[in-house]
Parts: sequence; C-alpha cells; structure tokens
Amino acid sequence: MDMTKVLVIGSISDLGLIGLAQKVESPEIHYLLLGGGDATQLGKYGVTKVYTLSAQVDEASLAETLVNLISTNNYSVIITPPVNKYFKTTIPIAAQKTSAPVLVDVLDLKQGGNTFEVTLNGVGNRAQVTVKVTDRVFLMAPPARFKPVEKVTTVTTESLQPKAITGIKVVSTEEKPKGKVRIEDAELIVSVGRGFKKQEDLKLAFELAEVLGAEIGCSRPIAADLKWLSEDHWVGLSGHKVRPKLYMAVGISGQPQHLAGMMESKTVVVINSDPNAPFFKNCDYGVVEDLYKFVPALTKKLREILKK
Amino acid sequence: MEILALVKLALDTGQLRVSETKVDIDSTPLKISDIDRNAVEEAVRIKEKAGGRVRVITALKYGPLTRRQQEAESLLREVLAMGADEAYLIVDNALINSDQLLTAKAIAATIRKLGNYDLIIAGEATIDGYTSQVGGPRVAAELGIPVITFVRELRVEGNKVTAKRDLEDAIQTVEAQLPVLVTVTREINVPRIPPLLQIRAAMKKPINRLGLADLGISMKSPVEVTNIVPIQVKRKGVIIKDGTVDEKVDKLIQALIQEGIITPPR
Ligand SMILES: Cc1cc2nc3c(=O)[nH]c(=O)nc-3n(C[C@H](O)[C@H](O)[C@H](O)COP(=O)(O)OP(=O)(O)OC[C@H]3O[C@@H](n4cnc5c(N)ncnc54)[C@H](O)[C@@H]3O)c2cc1C
Repeated sequence: MDMTKVLVIGSISDLGLIGLAQKVESPEIHYLLLGGGDATQLGKYGVTKVYTLSAQVDEASLAETLVNLISTNNYSVIITPPVNKYFKTTIPIAAQKTSAPVLVDVLDLKQGGNTFEVTLNGVGNRAQVTVKVTDRVFLMAPPARFKPVEKVTTVTTESLQPKAITGIKVVSTEEKPKGKVRIEDAELIVSVGRGFKKQEDLKLAFELAEVLGAEIGCSRPIAADLKWLSEDHWVGLSGHKVRPKLYMAVGISGQPQHLAGMMESKTVVVINSDPNAPFFKNCDYGVVEDLYKFVPALTKKLREILKK
Repeated sequence: MEILALVKLALDTGQLRVSETKVDIDSTPLKISDIDRNAVEEAVRIKEKAGGRVRVITALKYGPLTRRQQEAESLLREVLAMGADEAYLIVDNALINSDQLLTAKAIAATIRKLGNYDLIIAGEATIDGYTSQVGGPRVAAELGIPVITFVRELRVEGNKVTAKRDLEDAIQTVEAQLPVLVTVTREINVPRIPPLLQIRAAMKKPINRLGLADLGISMKSPVEVTNIVPIQVKRKGVIIKDGTVDEKVDKLIQALIQEGIITPPR
C-alpha cells in the first residue's frame, strides 16, 4: 500500500487535527507549524516533517506558500482548523489554485483506495452530510474533535521563506477589547439577545448568571452590531458552538443561525415575551413573559433557594 | 464604475423540509442569502455616488431546474428592485450539488465574459453552506485579483479602495487598487426595502441566462454528495405561560431542580 501524504496546517495547539490525519490509510504526515512552538512534540504522534515560516505573512502570501508546498510534495489531504478568518481567507485561495474542494466542519473520514468518504455538518448545521471525493481534498475541523494516538517518530524541520504578495496594504490595526470567556467550555450559559433594550439592562442577566454560576452568551447583534459584549460571548453559526448543561436564552428569537450554535446543549430554557417566538419550538422549558419582570424575580427566588 | 455583486440563492434553512431520516432539499424554498443583500446594498450605494452600473451574478445550486428557474428569477427581481441594473443567472445541471471549485470557475468565467469590471462585492458567507469560499477567495483566486474579506466599512475614491476588515481580535484597515474583490459583513449597512415603484421597474430589467457550455466549462464536480441526514434534537417543549410572574418562576425552578441543574442546600 502506498503512503498517503497528508499536510496538517496550524499552531501547536491545533495538534488534535493529527487525529483526523491518522484516519487516512498509512499516512505520511507533515505539519506546517504556524506561530512557533516545540516541533519535536509533533513527533510523538507520527509527524515526520515539520515546516515553519521564517516570517508571519498575510493570507495571500500564505496561500502562495501552500500552493508551492502542495505541488512539491503532492499531498492528497490537507487539514486545517476552521476557527479563524485568516484560514477562512487563505484556504479557499490555495484550494482554488490547486483545483481542490474544501470540506468544512468535518466529523469523520474513511478511506477506500483513492476515494475518501467524509461526513460533516452542513446545510447551516441542520444536517449531517456524507460526501465522496477522489484526488486532493482540504478538510477543516475543530482540533478538539479528534485525539491523535501516540506513535513516536523522528522529525525533520525545514523553514520556508514566504514571498510577499503585493496588492493589499495594511494601513493600521486596531486591537479589539479582549474578553477572557471561553463560552465553548461553559457548563451553564445565560444568553442574551435583542429583547434587552439598553446595554445597562444586561446587568439583569449578569446578576442571574452570578447566582447560577453561569457564563454570559449572546446573539450576533449584541456582539456584532451593538457591541454591548465582546465577541467571545457570541453564540451561533458565525460565532461559537456551545454544549452546556443549561442554555437559558433570554430575549433571543431563535433564528436558525443562532440555533446552529447551541443545538448540542442539554437543557434549553427560553424566556421570551412573544409566544410565537421560533425558539419556543426548540426548547425544553419555555417561559412566555416579559424578561424585565421575569429575570429579576427569578434571580431573587434563586438567591433565596440557593442561599446566595 | 463597473460593479459586480455576487449573490447566492440559498436554501432557506429556517424552512428546511425535514422528515425523520431525510432532508428534502428539493422542496425547501430558496431565499437571497442574507449577507448578499448587504453586498447588493453596498454596490448600489457606491453606484449612487460614483455612477456606473451594478450587475448581479448568481449560480443556481439547487434543483430541480424546471421548477427552480422561475423561483430564481423572482428572487433576482428583488435585488434588481434594490437598484441593481441587470442580472446573470448561471443555470446548469452540472452545478446542482457541485462543489465550490466548479461554482467559482463558473462565476469567474461569467465575469470574464462580461468584460470590464472595477469592483466585485459578495457576502462574507452564505446562510446554507456557510463556508466563506466561493464569492470571495475562490473567485478572486480564479480571476487572479486581490481579495479583501470580512469588510464592515468600505470607501472607494477614484482608483483606491480603503476597507476596514472585522477580524476576531482586531479591526484591520487596508488599502488596495481597483480591481479588487471585497466580501462584506452583515454589519456594513442595512439593506433597503425597495418601494413598489422600484419593484415594478425591476420587472423590466434584464435577467440573462448562461449555461456551462456558454462559458466553455466542461469539468465535473470532484465531490459527490451521497447522503444528507437531518440533525434532530428532541426537546421537551414544556411551555410555561399561565399564572403570575412568581408562579412562572416557581415552575421553572422546579424544572431546573428536576433536571439536576440546581441543587438547593438542605
Ligand atoms: C450568515 C448569518 C450568520 C449569522 N450568524 C449568527 C450567529 O452566529 N449568532 C446569532 O445569534 N445570530 C446570527 N445571525 C443572525 C440571526 O439570523 C438573527 O438575526 C439573530 O440571531 C437575532 O438576534 P436576537 O434573537 O437577539 O434578536 P431578535 O431576532 O430581534 O429577537 C429579539 C427577541 O426578543 C424578544 N423580546 C423583546 N422584548 C422582550 C422582553 N421585554 N422580554 C422578553 N423577550 C423580549 C422578542 O420577542 C424577540 O423574539 C446570522 C445571520 C446570518 C445571515
């Protein structure tokens, strides 16, 4: 059996993706390591070659570097994390230039000869889709989904010199206020939406969250348009995917793009004044009430009961 | 200014037709992918300032074609009513269920066929695929022009484009020369709702159809979809709507205790 060449691209914390690479039959795994880190660590999981970049580059230059690397080494499978806009820009450029499809939010991979059968979340996260591809394919998946098995190898390292691509000039970069919430890992979430009329009113939700020991989540407009909360709170198709024990949605209508981010929650509670809000069709417990009356009353009662 | 807006007629995932075991794509209605309305809006605003025209390009991705073509045309009338001047609809059986590689080739070939362009605008992602590939980076790569993704503020002065990119941890301001492809976020503007007069006028605007043969494309999609299974979560659906606020609070707290989410100390 021939070796199948696989390239994983990511930082050192994305090495979970090697687990996906190991699903290929007799893989030869290379790793393009971005942002520094200890390359020898990758040798624990069967990576034989690690590439690094001599400089941090923009999307167009990284895409160009990738295209060259792919044509030199003739990879069949290229795996990347999906999580940021840097990859979302780079990978499709590289894929188009190497005539390959990109499959996003990949769950699993099976190989039969030179055909790969890939399952993924699709249709706006409403369905599990199975596809067949031959030849080269790019896969994007969250690293935490996979667990690489140990297989110690010797790693050789090579530094690549990316070429700068002219065309787009960065004039300035303004850091966004950083939050520290890892909403993906939260056990309990109180999530807020546009049912809140003013930013100050969010304190109702914060008080409730404090009594429960919950993190605060939010819908897209709260983070993206109104900027009442930093983006680490944002739940949904374009935000974070969460899977808490309790997801309590307060003043959120329940549009499909929001639901896409919280489908895996265990118990879903919805508080909304509109009995026809779509979220009521996707909840375990739905309270039809004005949040301005209900939330303070709930907080007060919980404080009494939980003696907080 | 020659502006092109790329629009997807996406599956309306809010109205997805699902049974226990199947997603019925063929009978799920289509809609203009939300963020592509922002793309059209931005294109029309630039035209209103700088003059020129806006042409819309769309590749139909869902069958059956016999029925979808009519649906596609009436959806395209919506963006024509917003102020676009003309639409190009790529219809071909080979594009149904095809992957993004082929779709991007078809759109890029259409753009080349139309001739001159200065600015191409698309949405940051579509509501159904949500992969951010086709309208932006892939088409730009195929055309060999620069792409600026995730733009929430756009300025065009003469030949120069200034854009604010909305990245995870920063707002990045970039500059480029035309021609360039830009993808916009939902926050860049509020798409207009066209008045009746515009809607009527849109009925007379041209919608041109093209097939892959017209574009000289004969490749097949490298991806074959073999199965689509709905992700369904069973929820209890207990609605608490009667009684006073305090009674509702008590009912919810009972439920939270039962679910083991809170445990009152004894
Ligand atoms: C491609 C794409 C990606 C998207 N990604 C995301 C995403 O990741 N996450 C996301 O959240 N959205 C996303 N959206 C946006 C999504 O479609 C909705 O627009 C958004 O989720 C609505 O937010 P909301 O529920 O807070 O606001 P609204 O839809 O305005 O709902 C507010 C709700 O509050 C209720 N309400 C009002 N007053 C009260 C009161 N006093 N008491 C109780 N309830 C009250 C109303 O009845 C209403 O149901 C995306 C959209 C697109 C097109």
